[in-house]
Amino acid sequence: MISSSDQSRDILTARPPRTGVWPAFVSFGAVIAAQAYAILTSPAEGDMGHLQKIMYVHVPAAWMTFLSFFVVLVFSVRYLWRRRENDDLIAASAAEVGATFNGLTLMLGMIWGRPAWGVWWVWDARLTSTLVLFLIFVGYLALRAFTDDAQQKARWSAAVGAIGALNVPIVYMSVKWWRTLHQPPSSPATLDPRYTMGLRLNAIALLLVMIYFIRRRYEIARLERAVEHMAEAAAMGGQ
Amino acid sequence: MITAASNLNFIIAAYTVTWIVLLGYSLRLVRKGGRARADYERIAQQRSGEKSQ
Repeated sequence: MISSSDQSRDILTARPPRTGVWPAFVSFGAVIAAQAYAILTSPAEGDMGHLQKIMYVHVPAAWMTFLSFFVVLVFSVRYLWRRRENDDLIAASAAEVGATFNGLTLMLGMIWGRPAWGVWWVWDARLTSTLVLFLIFVGYLALRAFTDDAQQKARWSAAVGAIGALNVPIVYMSVKWWRTLHQPPSSPATLDPRYTMGLRLNAIALLLVMIYFIRRRYEIARLERAVEHMAEAAAMGGQ
Repeated sequence: MITAASNLNFIIAAYTVTWIVLLGYSLRLVRKGGRARADYERIAQQRSGEKSQ
């Protein structure tokens, strides 16, 4: 079994990340290709016309929000169980990326809502629960920013992250549990096949971006933690 | 009144916002990574300097 002191030593010996730029090019290239495919091949939808094209960015952004917060849940629980710093850093990285996608989902939803519903915002169950999810993870990031003690920061944020991520099923089910202006979730069975491929490709492309973001953010967090450990060791007499 | 032309504006706005967020976050990572790497190198050099003295 690896002790937390072994883990600290592991982080202490971290070297600057060597990840090249190719994952960024691949993932962003995939997004450009997927968006071009979806925009060029999808016909105007019966009710919404070409406004339907917003779905190719809004829906995958929402899925990446859910996935990122699932990563937060898994690694927060792992941290609370094993107390390894790496788990805390992965959870924190996924939380930042998830909050970014969550904010993007809300903005895209508003841009969609104005022409489709006639309003930028409505206190509908889906929109409100998504906003609550966003605020929980903004609070999570603020908690980390304002807590100095690394172990306390990790413990508290693991608790907030795990509880916050439990809001994801509420967001997902909100359109089924309550009567909402937001439409219920689509599935391949309910979606016109002409739109399915574009949506899938955009989801896969954004998944690549999400993985790249979390990986990159984790490498930076690990480096920052290594600097903290080295500075602490220097302050204690250069151990 | 929402027209087909204004729908196009909303579509352009949605894709523009998406790219601003994706590229903005990438830029944040590049800057944050650069700062973290510089801090690491500085402290690592200090430590190696202290050990050699």
